[in-house]
Amino acid sequence: MSVLASEWLKIRSVRSSHLTVSISLGGILLGLGLAWMAVDMYDHATPAQKPGARLAELEEVVLMVPQLCMGVLGVLATTSEYATGFIRTSLTAVPKRWPVMAGKSVVVGVIALFTGSAVIFATYFVCRALIADRFGGLYQIPFTDKLPLLTALALTVPVFALLGVGLGSILRTASGSIVVLVGAVYVVPIIVGNLPQPWSDLLGSVMIGALPHEITRDTTTNTVYGSLLPPVAAAAVLVTYALLPLLAGTWLLCRRDV
Amino acid sequence: MPQPNGVIDLQHLTKRYGRTLAVDDLSFTVLPGHVTGFLGPNGAGKSTTMRLVLGLDAPSSGAALVNGKRYASLPRPMHEVGALLDAGAMHGGRSAFNHLLCLARTNGIGPGRVSEMLERVGLAGVAQKHVGGFSLGMKQRLGIAAALLGDPGVLMFDEPVNGLDPDGVRWIRDLMRSLAAEGRTILLSSHLMSEMALTADHIVIVGRGKLIAEETVQELTTRYPSLEDAYLALTAGSLEYGASGS
Repeated sequence: MSVLASEWLKIRSVRSSHLTVSISLGGILLGLGLAWMAVDMYDHATPAQKPGARLAELEEVVLMVPQLCMGVLGVLATTSEYATGFIRTSLTAVPKRWPVMAGKSVVVGVIALFTGSAVIFATYFVCRALIADRFGGLYQIPFTDKLPLLTALALTVPVFALLGVGLGSILRTASGSIVVLVGAVYVVPIIVGNLPQPWSDLLGSVMIGALPHEITRDTTTNTVYGSLLPPVAAAAVLVTYALLPLLAGTWLLCRRDV
Repeated sequence: MPQPNGVIDLQHLTKRYGRTLAVDDLSFTVLPGHVTGFLGPNGAGKSTTMRLVLGLDAPSSGAALVNGKRYASLPRPMHEVGALLDAGAMHGGRSAFNHLLCLARTNGIGPGRVSEMLERVGLAGVAQKHVGGFSLGMKQRLGIAAALLGDPGVLMFDEPVNGLDPDGVRWIRDLMRSLAAEGRTILLSSHLMSEMALTADHIVIVGRGKLIAEETVQELTTRYPSLEDAYLALTAGSLEYGASGS
């Protein structure tokens, strides 16, 4: 518990944490702006254009803001200690080492869970209110039908955050970790999407972006990814994204000289 | 109160980084009640030895024990051992108070003790200031406050005098001597021989990772004109990095 209190203080006592949470919440404003623009365009379209007008779910569009910001929060939680040398003082205070990683993971994971949920649900309700029955009733689907997908989408945010903590602990540099984070999550899916079949669908099904739809067997939205995994397998893959780098990072932290 | 049995015990301690032997079969014991000076040229292995004692680096062979135990096996180590290795090892965006409290919390130490230690090292007035704006001397004082948080019986300081003004140098000297007089074990490294002669009672000299001498200051200054002469004579053969032609 004492290590958890320490890690909580470490996070909340530096400005970068406040900044990454604030920018994440700024995703809601982005959603608001996009919804407002969409409404404006729809209302100025001709009656003939309106039935064919399509809009992507905006909460899924803005999701990348908290995903990236909380990923960076996770990266900085570990790499800032290496960059400043504070890691040596930290590990002198907690020579067993693994509780430091456990404490960081809990603190960063919980912050990301709250932040991600706030962004997803607030954006959804803003869009629902603004867009109303426009775009073929996209936001007219009952909330209870959308709830599983929205929850799964929100859960990807702490997964990104823990992926960041794990990568930071493995690579020990902020720049390298952020490059890998962005590359693995935004560059690799583009490459996968352009592979010939069946590889595109096979690999596309294990991309983080595909998992919420697979976990909830959601049919209310279209996905650019593959959707081959059953819900349990997709949930397991999502957990693996968070835990595998975290366990590798903890293992390395416990063995390396610092 | 400090542990009466505060002892640092190195047993054939060896650390190898690739092909470099940083610490080479080093054995010595640091006892409580006086300041032990830890001397040696740059690259002699002093800082590595301290990191090995703190379990930050794993020894290639041999052992470093504190109060008869491995540091990593201590449940609340800050209550037994305090250390200042690198004054700059802190997040510049954090306040002095929060920096200490982050460390204190891990060992069940409260904010009252943090304020008390900031007062003791003369930083109470800047407790809420970001440490990024601190001078090296202020960071040294903060590092010493961190080492003292758990009221440990064993203390290690790596070059704590660097960056301090004359007033601060005097303060460190008095602090070290008073901590030792309370029955604590003090291992202090420094390159300032005149300062060391005033502060330490025992001297351990290392060169190229090996033990060169383990004597009292009195013994050394009887055989040589000064502690500086003793140091230069004893380490002449183990200079790793030195200017040529002198």
